[in-house]
Amino acid sequence: MLGGCATNDTGAAEVWDPIEVPNRFIFSINRAIDIIAIRPVTVLYKEWTPAGAQRGVHNVLGNLGEPVTAINEVVQGDPGRAVTTLARFLVNSTLGIAGLFDVATPLGLSKTKEGAGNTLGMYAGVEPENGGPYLVLPLAGPSNARDAAGLLADYAVDPFRILTVALNVDSLLYSGPKYAATVLDTRSRTMYALDDLEKNSVDYYAALRSAYTQQRAEVIRKKREKTDSRGELDRRDNLALVR
Amino acid sequence: MHLHAGRRMALRLAAAAIATSLAMPALAADGPAAQFIDKVAREVIDLIKVRTGAEREKGIREILERSFDLPYMGRSALGTHWEGTSEPLRERFLKAAISAEAKAYSERFGQYGGQTLTVGKVVAKPNGISTVDSKLSQSSGPPIVILWDVRDAGQGPRIADVKIEGVSMVMTRRSDFNSYIQGRGGKVEDLIIELENRAKR
Repeated sequence: MLGGCATNDTGAAEVWDPIEVPNRFIFSINRAIDIIAIRPVTVLYKEWTPAGAQRGVHNVLGNLGEPVTAINEVVQGDPGRAVTTLARFLVNSTLGIAGLFDVATPLGLSKTKEGAGNTLGMYAGVEPENGGPYLVLPLAGPSNARDAAGLLADYAVDPFRILTVALNVDSLLYSGPKYAATVLDTRSRTMYALDDLEKNSVDYYAALRSAYTQQRAEVIRKKREKTDSRGELDRRDNLALVR
Repeated sequence: MHLHAGRRMALRLAAAAIATSLAMPALAADGPAAQFIDKVAREVIDLIKVRTGAEREKGIREILERSFDLPYMGRSALGTHWEGTSEPLRERFLKAAISAEAKAYSERFGQYGGQTLTVGKVVAKPNGISTVDSKLSQSSGPPIVILWDVRDAGQGPRIADVKIEGVSMVMTRRSDFNSYIQGRGGKVEDLIIELENRAKR
């Protein structure tokens, strides 16, 4: 069974999509919602909101995601990187006014973005193109079993969501606006790429499925390469110190 | 303690150098493939600066036709269906696919807004294709990683694929075409008709 698109130049690069019919159905609903509501609102957002404000929204969302990134970095075996991420979170939440400004990057605390999809992909003993069956999630778009499970795991461990539960506050008050802002921010950043893909494809669903799978595979492949080289350096260090 | 830390650092650097040399069998930042990509990028940027509208599209098309291996890209995009397709249909397909690709790339390049393309290392693969690494700067956000597959089939270097942030244009097109053909009972001609109709619009 082929669980991902082929990485060589032979054959028809296909993604494993065993539930293509329901996926296409959800895709068509998502697309209709996008055409009617999301894309027009995003166009207004891009045209009418100052660039600084858009950057602020992106920064706040990024900052809210830092604790989940740090948790994933610990699970990925990189606690040092997790400490940097938490330092970013502390600096940006305070000096950066609740994350509106990314003051941590100029201070040398570089940004990373990790999710449980990447973590699962890193440890899965399969090609990174193989994320299990391809899925189109309602109102969330292209995914696969690995990335959908990752989304759920990230949602479950999100300290802000847990805090709303602990404080007995309706978690929708946190996740609702966050979801809406994420849709707007992501859609505005993918506007050109998606327009290009839609315009130049004869089967938009298949083109997006392929592009999504390739892009996610690239992220996970790079992560594995980085971890492998870091592991090799540590192994050589330890060997040298034993001698 | 300090000695250990210093030794660890020195070993890290040495190991990094070894790992890098192993990971990059053919590293040549200024090799012919990199120079070729640099030249094509400069040609496109110079053209965009002085021409607009239909003139610009015509100019980009000319650069594409002499810099991109469009027949190879078209063949790759048809994938396994190429073998089972008759010669006249192949010719029709290539003509329609080349036209569609040229139009798409013309529009993509037409979006140019003053960014800079920095050409980096080149990795030569055993199949004769050299991959040129490059980064396209953006006014906001991190640079976009673009990889260019360059092959020389006897007519000088030509671009055989473009990968943007890991997404291969040829592979995406192949998946797109394959799904369309499969959805129409395996008839390549339906795809050709669709591409021809799009070119007329």
